[in-house]
Amino acid sequence: MKRITLNVNPVEARDLLERVPRACLAFAGDEGPRVEPVTFWFKDDRYLVGIPSTAASHLTDHEEVVLLVDDGVQFFDLRAVYVRGHVQPLDGAADLAGNLAWLEVQPTRAVAWDYARIREVDDES
Amino acid sequence: MNPDDPAVVDILRRAMVARIATVSRNGRPHVNPLYFVYGNGKIYLGTTDRTLAALNVKANPRVTILFNVESEPSDRRVLTIHGGAIVRTDSRLNRWYLLRDVRKYFMSRRGLGNTLAHARLLPLVRRFVSSGDKGGECVLEVQPAEVSLATEI
Repeated sequence: MKRITLNVNPVEARDLLERVPRACLAFAGDEGPRVEPVTFWFKDDRYLVGIPSTAASHLTDHEEVVLLVDDGVQFFDLRAVYVRGHVQPLDGAADLAGNLAWLEVQPTRAVAWDYARIREVDDES
Repeated sequence: MNPDDPAVVDILRRAMVARIATVSRNGRPHVNPLYFVYGNGKIYLGTTDRTLAALNVKANPRVTILFNVESEPSDRRVLTIHGGAIVRTDSRLNRWYLLRDVRKYFMSRRGLGNTLAHARLLPLVRRFVSSGDKGGECVLEVQPAEVSLATEI
């Protein structure tokens, strides 16, 4: 059985994490979903996120979040890395640039997609 | 800020990709980049009815959407819209959306160029869309309630 997929191995989309066209962090706020643009830094395979302090105050330690790094406007240029995980304050954040609260996303799941890589694969489900 | 403030409308008319955050029935967050069109004071996002975004909206209509003007990297404004969403599956609205989506994303010089450059993939896209794996086409209709405009750090 075959199926068509846009998904790619996140390792193959690593350049997005290093170049970071757009990044945002979503979480469930008290008054509904929240999504904030963030400064993202992929360092030593760690997902480090700088978020305005006002927004960070709405996050609790170990809260579940989704980090989205995406690129492209035209259909076949659309690509993204989607990381679901839990946040925790980043130790040593004072060394990082910017007037932001820095957090680390500890991933529980990461997926990536790339519309230009649409293809037929064996369905293993 | 008013949803029909000229600065808000300007960004909504120029932005290309909306990043919509939703929350599941169990309170789990999700965010997805989607194409959208703006009209009648509302935001319409195209997806299918088995995506997390659509399933979440059915369970919890509150959404938050981020927009920026991708064509001008020096424009650091970020528009955030909070609102209520519904999942529209009626064919009339879906046709209305599709016409505007095609005009916005595929009938421009860049859109046509991108499509032609990947013409060999179009049969796969057609099969992907019609396979039904992701459900039927639908539109998330968002009524803006609160709007804020900030400058990205």
